[in-house]
Amino acid sequence: MDYPIWSSGLSGGVLMAWVAITHVIVAHFAIGGGLVVVATETLSVKRADRELRELARRSSLVLILVSTVFGAISGVGIWVVAGLISPGAISSLIHTYVWGWAIEWVFFIVEIVAALVYYTTWDKISKGAHLMVGWLYVVSAYLSLVIINGIITFMLTPGDWLASRAFWDGFFNPTYWPSLVLRTGIAALMAVAFMVFVALTSSPERRPDIMRYLGWWWLAGALVSYAGYRWWEAALPDTVTAMFRGAEPWLPTLDATRAFTLWALAAGLAVGVLILLVAPRLARAVTGVVLMVAAFAFFGGYERLREGVRKPFLIHSHMFSNGLLVSQIEAINAAGLAAHSGWVAQGDPSPEALGERLYLAQCSSCHSLDGYQSIRRALPTLADMELVAADDPPGSGALHYRRECAACHRDVSYEEMAAMLPSVEEIRDDSEMIHELNRGMITMVILELREMGADFAAFDPAETFDLRGLHRPVMPPFVGTDEEAEALAAYLATLERPNSGAAAVGGE
Amino acid sequence: MHVDLIPALDAAGLPGPPWLFHVLLVFTFFLHLIFMNLTLGGTIMAFVSHLRARGRADDANGVLAARLTAVNTYAISLAITTGVAPLLFVQVLYQQYFYSGTILLGWSWFALLVLLLIGYYAAYLHKSFRGPWLGVSSVMFFAVAMVHVAVHLVHVQPEKWSAFSVGSWRVLGDPTYWPRLAHFVLAAVTFAALVAAWWAVRRARAGDAVDTNSRIAATAWQWALWATVLLVVDGFILLALLPKPVLLGLMRGGLATLGPLTLAIVLAVGLLVMLARSGRPVEHPGLVSGTLAALTLTVAIMAVTRHQTRVLYLEPSTSRFQADIVSQWGTFGLFVVVLLIGLATVFVMVRRVLTSPAEGEEAA
Repeated sequence: MDYPIWSSGLSGGVLMAWVAITHVIVAHFAIGGGLVVVATETLSVKRADRELRELARRSSLVLILVSTVFGAISGVGIWVVAGLISPGAISSLIHTYVWGWAIEWVFFIVEIVAALVYYTTWDKISKGAHLMVGWLYVVSAYLSLVIINGIITFMLTPGDWLASRAFWDGFFNPTYWPSLVLRTGIAALMAVAFMVFVALTSSPERRPDIMRYLGWWWLAGALVSYAGYRWWEAALPDTVTAMFRGAEPWLPTLDATRAFTLWALAAGLAVGVLILLVAPRLARAVTGVVLMVAAFAFFGGYERLREGVRKPFLIHSHMFSNGLLVSQIEAINAAGLAAHSGWVAQGDPSPEALGERLYLAQCSSCHSLDGYQSIRRALPTLADMELVAADDPPGSGALHYRRECAACHRDVSYEEMAAMLPSVEEIRDDSEMIHELNRGMITMVILELREMGADFAAFDPAETFDLRGLHRPVMPPFVGTDEEAEALAAYLATLERPNSGAAAVGGE
Repeated sequence: MHVDLIPALDAAGLPGPPWLFHVLLVFTFFLHLIFMNLTLGGTIMAFVSHLRARGRADDANGVLAARLTAVNTYAISLAITTGVAPLLFVQVLYQQYFYSGTILLGWSWFALLVLLLIGYYAAYLHKSFRGPWLGVSSVMFFAVAMVHVAVHLVHVQPEKWSAFSVGSWRVLGDPTYWPRLAHFVLAAVTFAALVAAWWAVRRARAGDAVDTNSRIAATAWQWALWATVLLVVDGFILLALLPKPVLLGLMRGGLATLGPLTLAIVLAVGLLVMLARSGRPVEHPGLVSGTLAALTLTVAIMAVTRHQTRVLYLEPSTSRFQADIVSQWGTFGLFVVVLLIGLATVFVMVRRVLTSPAEGEEAA
């Protein structure tokens, strides 16, 4: 939290999502594509099958164009974006796992060299030598997944690392093996989804055979993915599962994401089995499109879920999503964030300006002002208050409260809130008073978030934190002095939206 | 009020002794420079040669452009791949400065990804469609160099961060920005030109298209000569423009800093002499190989000197921090083993490919 803050105008999380999702799709395609392409070439040599050989050869061009540069650049892109939006987090990961990344780099070098040689030596070297190059590509690409999977899963389930700080304790964490199985299946799905398009250019008489051949790969990928997913979910700690499972998940949207993810896989499996295995003559370009959409939806849904259930952490129980370390909470509360970060201290000392810098340091890694996770939309407006206070027609106030306010005021019922609010006439007569009230509510939320820091600090740092029972379990605590809390409230109060809905009161 | 803009050291500590990361950073950066030089210098040369050929594929310039473009298929991928390691190690050693520098540059740093992608795919488009794509590729890679020089100069000058936070474009006004950029670009052109000359001489000596290859060698040799002339002049300008504490640090650093610097200057002047000795490189294959070897050595030494200037730039700041060392010798050992196996694998793979030529039904 002591780095300069990049004011990109976008939510950092959204930018990271775009780069990361692009990369993981390409990276898994590079792994699965390599496996399926080289296995296909191997089969073609054994059977002396020219059509299968052509399928492998044509597919390898896209493999090289996509994986050797796009995959590499987007992989570096994750570092680039992480360094811009969460420098503390990427620094922590790199200092913990530098040798893991260095090992992955070696596999990456072998993978890239093998890919380049594989593509450029068709028709130029012996079949045996070409297959050797291909299988070296497959092995090195898969080993790069074996390594990076340890670092990715560590972030969600660091396990024994929290107590030991030992490399291998974090690497072989509770979700390591399930995730590896799941990603292996996904890699196969990515490969087939693309290769169906290449297979469409095969001769009409052989096309059904080739489609059926790809269908078996698709079936295997889907079943392995499903098994991996179920295993992954079962390996999650209860405190993480509570986010999206059970009668009242903390984040219902993640429960919906889970359902979407599994239905996407089910739909992909059904289409793949029906068209590729049962009726391969029906395979058309639209089949490839459907399979690709299903594979991307399943994979994207899973990645969204994995990122979402890590809230409010970047490294579970160790570092929050804004870069705050659990171990820093008490020290920053005592001395203030400005004493900790020159970038917060530097500048206009007015409360609103200081508050803006505090917002950028503590909130902007997840929130934007008007876009994704909009802060402005989360703030109550005068119109919101009028609607809740007026309750005209009867029931509309409670409905509006549930829709717009209850997410933040989980422990305050509509009746309690209505009793606390001034009457609608008082609200209309004294708009300044309502601004003060609004600022008071913002201050109250910030102070609640600050108090939550004590709860986090009270956890055993050697254990996975149990977030159940926390007031706002998906948000990091606010850290800083009372004056800084006031300054943040002063800034957030300036973000109030225009009173757009006021005229509607009583009119509906 | 005095405020300290330099973030704290990472609480996790250094996963090994600092010297190890310094060595790895410089060595892997050198590897990256080899392929980066081929990519940047090769693309610029290919573009100019393509223009000079005026579309004639049989012209020596046209062949040179096609040859450099073909090399770039590998060089771009390997430049990116080898660039990952120094990017990793700089984050280990200088995370406070590096992340701050990249954040201050913001979108310019992010644009690096887009520039690289366009540069790479434009090079591919040139192969299929000709047109302006090679020019696009050259501009993109040049812009990538601009971003890297900017990141370097911002991250090593924390005393200027406050000013850069108001407008990061101010880095373009740094006295050393343009000479430093020119140094990288000219070195890249020299390297690519010498590789092209060396390859053409080999082909000519083997009796393959002797006339065309002789002309390519002579043209590339001229490129290398004039780029080196400019490089040496620019190098002295850059040295003179370094901030006084950095320059004094280099001069007072004893053998550790003066040794590499002196050797690099001697080698650069030696390169000039070697390049000026003959206008017909195909008649002096030993001279061509020796010049390329000398340039490669110069690049390695300059990588050391560049790193030393970074250390000197940052010395006032880094001397205030003492990193905890939490060595991970076991995993480092595993890295070394994997590295050796990886290198052996590449060697075996390349040897098998070179010894397994096949045609027709026997070929893959």
